Amino acid sequence: MSAVLPEAEAPESADLLAVTEDVWMALLGDDGVLLPRAVPPGSPFDATAWSAATTISGGWHGVVTVELDEVLARRLTTRMLALPAEEEASDSDVADAVGELVNMVGGNVKSLMPGPSVLSLPAVAAGRAAFSSDSALACRLDLVWQDAPVRVSVHVPQEGPR
Amino acid sequence: MTTSTAFASVSALVRRETSMVYDEGKEYLVEARLNPLAAARGLGLEEYVARLAFDADERRKVIDALTINETSWFRDHTPYQAFTETMLPALLEGRQVTRRLRIWSAACSSGQEAYSIAMLLDQHLPAGWSYEIVATDISTAMLERVRAGRYSQVEVNRGLPATSLVRYFTRVGRDWEIAERLRERVTVKHLNLAAPYVGLGTFDLIWLRNVLIYFDAPTKADILRRMLPMLADDGYLLLGSSETTLDMPADLTAAWQREQIGRVPAYRRASARTPLTPSLTSTGA
Amino acid sequence: MRAMIIDDSRAMRSILRRIVTDLDFETSEAEHGQAALDQMRAGVVPDVCLVDWNMPVMDGYTFITEVRANPEWRDVTLMMVTTESEQRQIVRALAAGAHEYVIKPFTPDAIVDKLSLLGLVPA
Repeated sequence: MSAVLPEAEAPESADLLAVTEDVWMALLGDDGVLLPRAVPPGSPFDATAWSAATTISGGWHGVVTVELDEVLARRLTTRMLALPAEEEASDSDVADAVGELVNMVGGNVKSLMPGPSVLSLPAVAAGRAAFSSDSALACRLDLVWQDAPVRVSVHVPQEGPR
Repeated sequence: MTTSTAFASVSALVRRETSMVYDEGKEYLVEARLNPLAAARGLGLEEYVARLAFDADERRKVIDALTINETSWFRDHTPYQAFTETMLPALLEGRQVTRRLRIWSAACSSGQEAYSIAMLLDQHLPAGWSYEIVATDISTAMLERVRAGRYSQVEVNRGLPATSLVRYFTRVGRDWEIAERLRERVTVKHLNLAAPYVGLGTFDLIWLRNVLIYFDAPTKADILRRMLPMLADDGYLLLGSSETTLDMPADLTAAWQREQIGRVPAYRRASARTPLTPSLTSTGA
Repeated sequence: MRAMIIDDSRAMRSILRRIVTDLDFETSEAEHGQAALDQMRAGVVPDVCLVDWNMPVMDGYTFITEVRANPEWRDVTLMMVTTESEQRQIVRALAAGAHEYVIKPFTPDAIVDKLSLLGLVPA
């Protein structure tokens, strides 16, 4: 058994989906319905994007990343900040909002995994997420919110946790 | 089938099987709860309703979907406060010999009322006492949830004190599971409140909150009449904050004596508490 | 009633501000624990603090410990509002002096319910 990774090595995609749905519903209420999106394995996120990542380290090691379509990120930010419809969210507003988004998803993923662990502050970038070459994709969700794509992924260190 | 005939047919179904009344004006509620069921079958709402006549499984799901009460931990606070401060001490006083309490959570939904009571008893019941909470509901799906004692993060976030969360629950994946020692005190039973109460025994306290509103006046009166022998002589009946026995037939208003406990009206058995003298028995009720 | 909202995210502060403003609270805000302590030392002492856990400069756990160490602030109610949802974290926060704990994500009702449990809004 020693060569086999323990079962708890990665979150179940059903759990990741439920966590993500909870975040969307809490922020957007009935408008927060996320739909699945069929994307072939291995394809990079195909949208002008914002990306936000948070790192979990301790009893379990992993990186939770949320990538969002530009329009979706701005729409979400407008809702979170309750900006008037005619007011455009600034880049700094979007960075703040998507950072909080990944913080909520990441914190809940952390609770599903063996602890105790520490959650990093979110790192946000305009553009696609860059993944370290020594990490492996453990779980990925492709979803659609109001016709715009969003991706949530979990990466784990490839060479084992330490 | 049009939307209005679909609504009429669903409300007739629910009434026939549960005696609960879905009047016109509740269309939005029926629609909101049935749309997901219809969608799961790949059908429109009207098509789905038309299919119910032949499909007992789907009928069961509709009954479940339409009879689920909104619930939360320690709903309305005050009844729980009245329970620990007034009712519980009085009940303990009268049961020094048996040292046992039986409580009925009628229309228990997902069990948050039953487990709220269990948490309070765990804290306030003196050593050497035991208790049983009987949780009944018409929805078998809800009874399964009570039995499992598992609640989502969204559910434990609402109204449950954080001290109770960490004291009585354990995280199991995304859910929180209530402690075994509370779960084993809660007995789950399938029961339609409009049908006979068989094999339940009697109770020291009956929580019948926020469910009478779903029944028509004759059924409501019938339920309250049949609740009388279910309650111990010195027991208490609790109704929802918008419910009362005052609009009931005279015999019921007289049989249920209202006793104000702080801000909470409790109902007690009048006949049992003020025995009729022989000279009065001949006048009848 | 006065609430201080302590969270490094403007978006989250905005969400919380709208919820408590609807309950007629006056609000002040800080982006981390140190900024909140500075405001309190300058005399802006709220009835309740809604505190995130993970923040730069000073995290919410340290903030709670600091507030509880000052007897002048013993009447300040402390409520964690954080994505930290491991059971041991909740236990730690309560032991350090937090009165309540709301897990993110939350619906507005969750905040209202907890403030009502704390006796800060009518039930």
